[in-house]
Amino acid sequence: METTEAADGRLGVGLRQYAAARFSGVLRVDGQPGGAIYLVDGGISACQTSGAPSLEVILLRSGRVAESDWNTAFTEAAIAERPMTAELVERGLLGAGEVEALLRIALADAMFALTCGHVDSWTETPAADYLLPLDPAARAGWLLAEASRRRQMLASFPAPLVSAADRIAVAPASVLPGRALGHGQDEILALVDGRRTPRDLAFALGQGLYETMLQLTRMRASNTVVISSRGQAHAPPGPAGPTAGDEEHDETPGGLPRRRRDRPGSSRAGGTSRRSFAANIRMLRPRSEGELPRETP
Amino acid sequence: MSTLQESLRHFLAVEGVRTAALIDVATGMIVRSVGKPDPDLAATAACVADEARAARNALGAGHPAGDLVEITAVTGSRLQLSKVLPGPPGEGLLLFVDLERAKSNVGLASLRIGQLAPAVLA
Repeated sequence: METTEAADGRLGVGLRQYAAARFSGVLRVDGQPGGAIYLVDGGISACQTSGAPSLEVILLRSGRVAESDWNTAFTEAAIAERPMTAELVERGLLGAGEVEALLRIALADAMFALTCGHVDSWTETPAADYLLPLDPAARAGWLLAEASRRRQMLASFPAPLVSAADRIAVAPASVLPGRALGHGQDEILALVDGRRTPRDLAFALGQGLYETMLQLTRMRASNTVVISSRGQAHAPPGPAGPTAGDEEHDETPGGLPRRRRDRPGSSRAGGTSRRSFAANIRMLRPRSEGELPRETP
Repeated sequence: MSTLQESLRHFLAVEGVRTAALIDVATGMIVRSVGKPDPDLAATAACVADEARAARNALGAGHPAGDLVEITAVTGSRLQLSKVLPGPPGEGLLLFVDLERAKSNVGLASLRIGQLAPAVLA
């Protein structure tokens, strides 16, 4: 986690500035794992990263929402041009309060994954639609504080996991046959094979990255699992900040690049547009193909 | 207005309630909270989540007596009720309510909070 502080620090400072400027748009974050942060009036409405499962993955893998129900809701939402969250609530698949709670939990987990990694740079892009936006958006300060709390919690263990990329193996003779571990640890143990990382396990189980890392850290402390190999150390962070086409932007008084009005795709995050929903229908492909667990060789 | 905040605010009408919060058991994170600002609430939430995990452990494998429903903690000046909200995947969510002991009654508070709890995630 050598780069955690730096990544969080640079991105954190940037996010606080965007919040103060009430920025609306998408920050494309380059790095490992990298991702995209969707901002609305300075609040964060969504975070997409390959480092943590999205709410869609969590709901489907956990069985909270059946795949057939999800497919029907997705299609109907696209046809009716209404938000997917509203469709899930309307169909009684989730409660309105439950959707908001689960979105906040998934968003906090994605921000944790993003800030635990390495951030090279980020680029502002115009606002774009996201399938499951949080409304109202969360405060950047709250999300950064929560990510910091999580890192401190993991670091408080005598033998903390170093990164989400560590490969986990079952400790020799760790569990007596027939003994249940509870708290979902039996399900984790069943998937631990010496090759999967905490990230892989989180995707396979349909639970948050931090939740998985916390359980694995507890299991490591009780000699149930061991780290079979360390994840690749991140390269030292270079200068992070807005890049890629900065010359094209004027600067705001606060030093933030000003977005041009004539750029395409300027709808707000979480908003709906006919074109995007038509694209959704055309793209009725197997969901989250980019988010499936990446099996390490 | 947040749906969660709106539903949590109903708990503030119960006699003696200082704070009401929704806590994610798996992470110890405060999902939403209302009431008097409490700088220790984040640490309290993490402890309450640990208590729920420990209580489930104490129920034994397979939970023959049924799953955990509520945890009550009574101190000299406070009464803290943590109610498990069924539904969400994983280890679930806890509704945590902190009350002034002098203004509350354990049984009555549990009853009133139990009546309001189902609306939080609805």
